[in-house]
Amino acid sequence: MAKIDITNLRKTFGDDGEQIVAVDDFNLNIRDGEFLVFVGPSGCGKTTTLRCIAGLEDVTSGTIEFNGTDVTDKRARERDVAMVFQNYALYPHMTVRKNIGFPLRLSTKQTSEEIDSRVQNVTELLGIEDLLEKKPKELSGGQQQRVALGRAIIRDPEVFLMDEPLSNLDAKLRSTMRTELQELQQELGVTTAYVTHDQTEAMAMGDRIVVLNGGVLQQVGTASEVYRSPTNEFVAGFIGSPSINLFTAVVDGNTLTGPGGFSYTLEDESLVAGRDHVRVGIRPEDLTLSESGSLPCEVTVVEQMGNENFLYGKMDDIDITARIESEIRPSEGSVVEFGFAEEDLYLFDAETTEALKTKTGETDIDYDQYTQTKSVS
Amino acid sequence: MHTQDKQEALWKFGSYIFLLVVTALVLIPLYWMLVAATIPQSEFFSWPPQLIPGTYFLENFAALQENVDFVRSIGNSIFIAVTYTILSLILCSMAGFAFAKYEFRFKEPLFYFILATLVLPIQLLIIPLFLLMVQIGWTNSYLAVILPWAANPLGIFLMRQNMKAIPDSLLESARMDGATEFQLYYKIALPTMLPSLAALAIILFLNQWQAFLYPLVILQDPQMFTIPLALADLVGQQRVAFDQIMVGTSLAVLPIFIVFLTLQQYFIKGILSGSVKQ
Repeated sequence: MAKIDITNLRKTFGDDGEQIVAVDDFNLNIRDGEFLVFVGPSGCGKTTTLRCIAGLEDVTSGTIEFNGTDVTDKRARERDVAMVFQNYALYPHMTVRKNIGFPLRLSTKQTSEEIDSRVQNVTELLGIEDLLEKKPKELSGGQQQRVALGRAIIRDPEVFLMDEPLSNLDAKLRSTMRTELQELQQELGVTTAYVTHDQTEAMAMGDRIVVLNGGVLQQVGTASEVYRSPTNEFVAGFIGSPSINLFTAVVDGNTLTGPGGFSYTLEDESLVAGRDHVRVGIRPEDLTLSESGSLPCEVTVVEQMGNENFLYGKMDDIDITARIESEIRPSEGSVVEFGFAEEDLYLFDAETTEALKTKTGETDIDYDQYTQTKSVS
Repeated sequence: MHTQDKQEALWKFGSYIFLLVVTALVLIPLYWMLVAATIPQSEFFSWPPQLIPGTYFLENFAALQENVDFVRSIGNSIFIAVTYTILSLILCSMAGFAFAKYEFRFKEPLFYFILATLVLPIQLLIIPLFLLMVQIGWTNSYLAVILPWAANPLGIFLMRQNMKAIPDSLLESARMDGATEFQLYYKIALPTMLPSLAALAIILFLNQWQAFLYPLVILQDPQMFTIPLALADLVGQQRVAFDQIMVGTSLAVLPIFIVFLTLQQYFIKGILSGSVKQ
């Protein structure tokens, strides 16, 4: 187990003529035993960062330390790191037994009996003990995935790295494997860095989430932190599904007026004091249909999810998404109005996109508190 | 029967006839070679030609062995071809692996330079090579036949093209598992490349087995002769010993069959499949 400290990491590709900066000025401390998820759109530098930690990519500048020891110039095989690849990268000519035992045969002096019993343990842990003599091509996607995991955990490494390990599985298997992976990580307690482009996966799995964009770290925080208190408009837009509604509003005293008849009077004027414009964000789940709301919207499509409905509409030329109760189904083309609570409102600087205001409502209410407030009301 | 089915059957029938004719064209000379090896030379030009194998094989072989030490030649040929094939496979696969999977300075120019040597005809190289071998005193040695052609440009090219298909993540995964760069080559790259190696082995073996001109120049001692040289020795100014030549050629094609049959089990399609999910 290890804690990882990344300081001023920078990685560029290409020669001096055409340099592409993949990761820039990246600082991060991964805690011992933590499950950390890197998330961001494709090309944001998350995989490059992971590969730098793995030692598969030389860093352009900056340092990477495991437990205080500088490993920046160490090779992958000297770092005691195991990695699961997106395409599993199983050795096609070896059986499952040999695939999983491969790292031990290379890196330790254990006898083949010892290795065999370790392989047996690992495959039992993963529930693939009856596949030992099969070759990778005879396995299903989920089984290949488990073999790849087995090969990673058998060595008992300091650090696990996973590069979109679930993206090749079908939706159902993906959610099962998601839970299994989390349980496995908790059981083994190994520091894990996990890369995904899927923010739902990131929210569900990570102890903390690292949001990256364009090679620059945007925010590090728990799922609730990045959802409720994004540092900027990008994080707000990337985290949450369906994504947040964003538009520009004109500030007039304590009143915000936007496109298509949006109008809202702030209780706290200090939030927008001294500004002409501001970016407004409201999450689809915070919009409620009301008779005289501040956000008018022309309905284009209503998608039925069963437990709720997604309403898609237009406010002038701004796309609006709202989650509404499954019983309500406004007809397409009709104009509805939405209201929202000020504590749910997000405000961002129109130029820098930095957050000015994020969600302020109470969180982490425990069961007793909840039932008490309920019984009072 | 449907018209389309009829047409298809006719087309199939036609193609089988065509294939039969081509097969016959290939097999008839081979068959004649076998027959001619078993009949006395006197019957060689008889008309109608003899079509059934005779009983003179051993006599013909004895004559051949007396004339040129043919058993020794077979030994020479096998030793040279096998050593050459193994050495060349190692060199070509190593070079191919490096060209396919590593980045280094002058990689592209170096590769194209190696490719360019493919266009040099052997006739152009023989004299300088001969002079070189004389200078270092290697004439009449196995080394002189094997070494100059061991790093085969065609082999390097083939291995590079095939090794490009090895997914990078497979090698990276092995690196993470603790493999050294050399272990990547022989534990991962070589086993996944068995079909290509088998194909290349056949090409290399055949090339060396039937090599004539260069060994003729470099090997003067009859004790060192390979099969083609020994057989060429039978073609005299006055008389061509057809019976003995046919015995020799019949024996010479045997190892090729053996090599082909042993290696063909490795031509399994898709040995890389199941390794990575696309």
